[in-house]
Amino acid sequence: MILNFLTIVWQSALLWLVYRLGGLLVGVLHLALPGNVAGMLLMFALLAAGVVKPAYIEVGGGFLLKHFAFFFIPISVGLMAFGPLMRQSGLTLLAILVASAAVGVLATGLCVQFLDRRGQR
Amino acid sequence: MTALIFAACLILTVGSYLATRAIFLRFRHPLLNPVFLSTLVIIAVLQATGGTLADYQPAKELMTFLLGPATVALALPLYHNRAVLLSQALPVLAGVLTGSLATIAAVLVAGRLAGLSRGILVSLGPKSVTVPIAVEISRLAGGEPTLTAAFVVATGMIGSILGPLLLTAVRVKDPVARGLALGTVSHGQGTAVALLEGERAGAMGGVAMAIAAVFTALIAPYYLPLLLP
Repeated sequence: MILNFLTIVWQSALLWLVYRLGGLLVGVLHLALPGNVAGMLLMFALLAAGVVKPAYIEVGGGFLLKHFAFFFIPISVGLMAFGPLMRQSGLTLLAILVASAAVGVLATGLCVQFLDRRGQR
Repeated sequence: MTALIFAACLILTVGSYLATRAIFLRFRHPLLNPVFLSTLVIIAVLQATGGTLADYQPAKELMTFLLGPATVALALPLYHNRAVLLSQALPVLAGVLTGSLATIAAVLVAGRLAGLSRGILVSLGPKSVTVPIAVEISRLAGGEPTLTAAFVVATGMIGSILGPLLLTAVRVKDPVARGLALGTVSHGQGTAVALLEGERAGAMGGVAMAIAAVFTALIAPYYLPLLLP
């Protein structure tokens, strides 16, 4: 239990390090990417090159991914600040966001499924 | 007192999360989305007790500290699914690009039909990509970054509730297609739901989120003006 906790802390620290490296890389190279996505791609490159073994980050990374949804709760609470705008034109905005999300989800989902089936034939 | 509020916000958030997660895992219905339910509970408690966002802020900062490292951890399912990614590179790329173009066009056309001002339309444009990029796109195009951030979060929530329902309704069952659709439209929040569906869907959510972010940033200066009044 305690050992597991320490492993999570240590491996999260390693992930944090690569996250900061990603941010640094974006700044130096002026990439059109946020630091976290750059960090993800960097970590993928490190895994693919065999520099980082999956075992180095599996416990901590697995824990963070299992609870990935958690991080979006405090962020979503921030929507509270838009109460006045929501009362004024919330329904219109909601309808627009729902419609565009539906279009996007269907476009990607059906496109991938269609191309996949063709590819398998 | 401040320490007490801080602790109360932490306990409230973690408690709501654990409770709503347990409910979701028991019934597995997209409407029981843990982020959605917990957010409702927390906002209700804040309002009932006269709490403000400023009271919640310190706890928020601590709780979101690990979001960066968690996003980096998405490299792990990506790595485990690299064979799928390579063998289906074309559908993956085509799907994400189509979805990004479609959702931007839809939001701007619907917004124009509803008679929204240009400032709000510009702020809506990049709403499907992850916050740091969306905010930057909005600022460069003359939108309102804070408004864009709110639209991004709202879209994250909407897509992660509606997305799985819609995909099931049109019989998209393949985890690759589902993960890509959720990540393209609802960035990290969609990826979180995809991860709840399984590792492969989660990996694809991460891929889609990254491709959509880069692609949208690249095309926005040319694509948005085409659709704006």
